[in-house]
Amino acid sequence: MKNRIEEIRNSRGIRQEELAGLMGVSRQTISSLENGRYNPSILLAHKIAAYFGMTIEEVFIFGEE
Amino acid sequence: MYDNKRLALSIFWAVFGVVLMALSIAEVLDSLYAGMGGALTAVGVLQIIRNLRYRRDPEYQEKIDTEVNDERNRFLRMKSWSWAGYIAIMVEGIGVIAATILGNDTVRTMLSYSVCLILCAYWISYLILSRKY
Repeated sequence: MKNRIEEIRNSRGIRQEELAGLMGVSRQTISSLENGRYNPSILLAHKIAAYFGMTIEEVFIFGEE
Repeated sequence: MYDNKRLALSIFWAVFGVVLMALSIAEVLDSLYAGMGGALTAVGVLQIIRNLRYRRDPEYQEKIDTEVNDERNRFLRMKSWSWAGYIAIMVEGIGVIAATILGNDTVRTMLSYSVCLILCAYWISYLILSRKY
């Protein structure tokens, strides 16, 4: 599943470490999410989307793997 | 994460290790137990140190909590156990064939039982989890 985390994060000037701290996950998790190597749980996806003030669909691009 | 129960368990292992080493030095137990005791003491002491640091250092506490609760880490731990299970069953299967060819009945029987045990554990776990989720 693709996502726009890196793009949105960069546009808001937030570092991976900061986002990870706010989401309660490790920096590696944010890095893996941005690279599309790891798909988040619905809870984490919701948390990230809510933090950016967006819907899950606006942050995560759903599609067949 | 590091609660009182874990601290008590760490102290128990450290003390148990010291007892094993003492009994081994006093030649009540075999020297093999001295090594085991040393390892238990080392692990116990290390866990006690980590536990105390966790209680005193808020930064370390946050770091450990994030590591433990991080969903990717949990996913990786589960995946690693899954791979370890597959590898173990494959190796044991190959071992059964090798022991049969070499005519070692004891090893073959033990490995066969082990394969059966892992498969039974898998099916029991599956049944329990399918009722839970």
